[in-house]
Amino acid sequence: MRWVRLAFVDVLGIEKSVSIPVSELDRALAGNVTFDGGSIDGFVRGEEIDMVLRPDAATFTVLPWTTDGQVEARVLCDIETPDGTPFEGDPRSTLKRVLEDAGDVLQTLRAGLEVEFYLFALDADGMPSTRTSDAGSYFDFSASDRGEEARLATSVALEAMGIPVSSAHHEHGAGQHELDLAAATVLATADRLVTVRGVVKRIAERYGLHATFMPKPLEAQAGSGLHIYFALGEIDEVVRLHAVAGLLEHAAGFTAICNPTVNSYKRLVAAWDAPVYTVWSHHSANALVRVPPAFGGEPPLIEVRSPDAACNPYLAMAVLVEALADGVRTRSLPGDPFTGSTYELGDRFRAEHGIRQLPKSLRQALAALEEDLVIRGALGDHIYHAFRDAKLAEYERYRRAVHPWEREAYLRTF
Amino acid sequence: MQDDIAVPVRPLRRDRSEALLAFAEALARVAASGGGAQALAGHLAAAIDAAVLVEDAQWRHLAVAGTGERAIPPSVRDLLPKDADGEESVALASPGMPRARAYPLRAGEARLGWLSVFPTGTRSLEERTGLIRLTALQIAVELSRDAGGGRGRRRGFWDRLLARAYEDPLEAREDAQARGIALAPGYVAVAVEGEGLDETVAAQRNAEIRRVCLDTLGSRTGDVVVVERGGGFFFLVPAPLEVDAANARTAATMIPRGMHRAGLDVKVVGGVGRHAEMIGVARSVDEAHEAMIIARRMFGGGRVIPYDDLGVYPLLHRTGATREDWRTFATRVLDPLRAYDDKHQTELVRTLKLFFDVGQNIKEAAAKLNVHRHTVFYRLRQIGEIGRLDLDSPHDQLTVRAALAVDELDG
Repeated sequence: MRWVRLAFVDVLGIEKSVSIPVSELDRALAGNVTFDGGSIDGFVRGEEIDMVLRPDAATFTVLPWTTDGQVEARVLCDIETPDGTPFEGDPRSTLKRVLEDAGDVLQTLRAGLEVEFYLFALDADGMPSTRTSDAGSYFDFSASDRGEEARLATSVALEAMGIPVSSAHHEHGAGQHELDLAAATVLATADRLVTVRGVVKRIAERYGLHATFMPKPLEAQAGSGLHIYFALGEIDEVVRLHAVAGLLEHAAGFTAICNPTVNSYKRLVAAWDAPVYTVWSHHSANALVRVPPAFGGEPPLIEVRSPDAACNPYLAMAVLVEALADGVRTRSLPGDPFTGSTYELGDRFRAEHGIRQLPKSLRQALAALEEDLVIRGALGDHIYHAFRDAKLAEYERYRRAVHPWEREAYLRTF
Repeated sequence: MQDDIAVPVRPLRRDRSEALLAFAEALARVAASGGGAQALAGHLAAAIDAAVLVEDAQWRHLAVAGTGERAIPPSVRDLLPKDADGEESVALASPGMPRARAYPLRAGEARLGWLSVFPTGTRSLEERTGLIRLTALQIAVELSRDAGGGRGRRRGFWDRLLARAYEDPLEAREDAQARGIALAPGYVAVAVEGEGLDETVAAQRNAEIRRVCLDTLGSRTGDVVVVERGGGFFFLVPAPLEVDAANARTAATMIPRGMHRAGLDVKVVGGVGRHAEMIGVARSVDEAHEAMIIARRMFGGGRVIPYDDLGVYPLLHRTGATREDWRTFATRVLDPLRAYDDKHQTELVRTLKLFFDVGQNIKEAAAKLNVHRHTVFYRLRQIGEIGRLDLDSPHDQLTVRAALAVDELDG
C-alpha cells in the first residue's frame, strides 16, 4: 500500500479526496495537509481558501479493491481553518457540534440505516441505462442475476471494511436492492453511508452494472429511500414521545436537507409506501415516523422514513438529531399514533390531528427550511446559505428545463 | 343577691368585650398585611388552640392552620348535617372529634363557604364562639373582596361554566371576555388527587401536586385553568384540536412519573375526561372525576387514566345507565373496527367475536374462520391497534365482551 486518500464531503454530500503517499500520513494526522477550499462547492469564502484536513484515525480503512494493482487506504477527515478551529462549512464538523449539543438531552443515541438503490445495466456504449437484468420483487432471489451477485459482493466488501451489514435483500422494484446497516454511533453511521455509496457504485461497476441512489429513477416503480432509525437507549417512554414529536414538528424544515434534489419529490408521493404526511405510527408503512413495538427486549427504535440517499449524510443526521433533541427540550408530544394507510387521510382529519403535508417540491422544502430556525441553527449560517444558494440554483435550472413529459402532453395539443 | 351576682359579671362582660375588640383589631391588622384567609385562620388557630380549616362554597381549600400533629378531615363537605343551611354554625359528624363545628362564611345574602374548627382534647368552643365568628366575618370580607377583584371574577366564570349555568356558548364567551378570559374552543379536564395524604402536610403536598401537574400538562395552546375541589384539583387543558386533546391525555398519564421525577414522595390518582367543546367542559370534568374514582377502585390508584381507556367500567360504575348509554358504549368500542372492515373488506369484528366464542383459542378460531393461525394473530394485533385495546388485559377483555354482548342483544 502506497497511497492514502484523505476524504471529506462538500456541502452537497459529494465525496472528495486528496491522495497522499503513506509516508505523509503522520504529517496529515498532525494536521499539516491543506487543500484549496475555494474550489469546493459551498466552501468558498474569500479569506478562508486554505483549509486543513484533519484525519479521523478511527475511520482509517483499506479499500477492498486495487487500482492498477495498487492497494489504497482511505481515512475520513474533518476540515479545519488554518488556526485549528473546525470550519463552519464542514458537514462532518457540523454533525459533531450538533451531537455534542444534543448530548444534554439524548445521552445515548445511535443510528442505523436501510439504504435502497437500483442496479441498472450499462448500454452498448458503457453508459448507464434504466434497464435491469431482473424482474424480482421483495426478497426475491435469483442465483443467476448479476444484481444479486453484486449485492452480495458489496456486503462482503463492506464487512471487510468494518461495516457490518445486518441484512441485504431485493427490494420492491425490478433491479432495486436494499442494504441494512446495524446501529452505531450517529457519526459512524454517517461515515458509513458515505462509504456505502462509494462501495456500492464501485462493486456494481465490476459487475458491469450502474448503481444509483437517485431517489426516483423510474416513474412507474418504487423510489429509493433511506430509512434512518435511531436508538435512544433505556429512556423514559415519554422522552421517546418527545423525540418523535420533534421529528414531526420539524419535518417540513428538515425535508430540504434529507430530500435535497428536485427528483426527491417524485418519490414523496402517495405510492409505494413513501411518506407524504407528518404522521407517526407503530405499524403503518407509509408513516413519516415509525416506532415499531419493542422486539427481543430492546427499547423501541424511532425510524424516519422520508430521507433519500442523495442527501448529505452528515447534514441529514445533524438536522434529524436536532429535531429529536428539540422535541425533548421543548417536551413536545406527537398526538396519538396513526393506524392504517396515511394515503386515505381526509383534509378534516388532518386538520383536527395537526397533520401537515411534507413539502411537494424542492422549492417548497427550501421555503420551509428558511422558516425553521431550529433546523437552520443546527446547520449554522455558513452551511445554510451555501446549501440554499446551491439548491435554489438547481431548482431554477430544473424550472427552466423543458421535460419530455411536457412535449408529450403539449406538443401536439397546442 | 342579684346585685352581688351582677357586680362581678359586668366587669367580666367588659373584659370579654375588650378581648373581642382587641382580637378584631388584631384580625384587621392581619388582613391589612395581605395574608388573606390563611393568615386569618392561623391567627384564630393560635388564639383558640385548635385546628382550623377554611373551604369555599365549592369545597376548595382556602386555608388550613393549627393542625400540628393532628389529623383533620380533608373536607367537611360530607360531615355537615343534611339540614345545614349556611345560616348558623353546626356540629360536625367527625369521628373522634365530637366538639368540631363549622361556621358559615357569609357576606350579606351570599354564602361563601365554611370555617371549621377542631378543638384540642375535650375543650368546648362555647367560650370562643365570638373569636371564631369575628374571624369568619373577616375571612368573608376578604373573600368578597377577592370575588370583586380580577382573580375572583375569573374564578367566578369557571364556577358558572362548570355549574352549567350558561345557556349557550355566546353567552359564555361574552361573559369570559368581560372578565378578561381568553377561551379555547375546547378543553380536556384532568382530575388529580393526592392519595393517603397526612392532613398535617396536606396543604403543602397539594401545592406540590399542583406545581408538578401544571408543569407536566403545560399547554402550548393557552393557560391551563386550575379548579380546586375538596382535597384535589381539576385542570382544564386548552385543546383546540383533537391532537391537543391527545397530547393532554398523554401528558396527564405521565403525572405520577412527574411526581417521581420531581423527587416527591406523593402518590397521586387521577382521571382524564374526553375532549369537550368549551360550553360542555363540565361533562369532561365529570368524566375526569369518574375516571379518577374508577382508577382508584379498579386499578389501585397511583395512575391517571383517561376515561376513554376505561371501557365498560364507567357504565358499571354509573347508577342508572340507560339502554342508550350501553348502545353508545358498544358503538364506541366496535365502530372503529366496523369502519375498518367496511373500508378494507376485512373481518375484524367477526374474528373478534369468534375469538371469544371459542374461549380465546387461536387454533380453533383459525379453523372456524378457515384461515391460518398467523392470520388470526395478525387480525388480533390489528384489532388492538385500531380499537386501542389490549386483548391480553382482563379489563379490556371485559369491555370487548360487554360491547359484543350489547351488540348481539340489540340484534
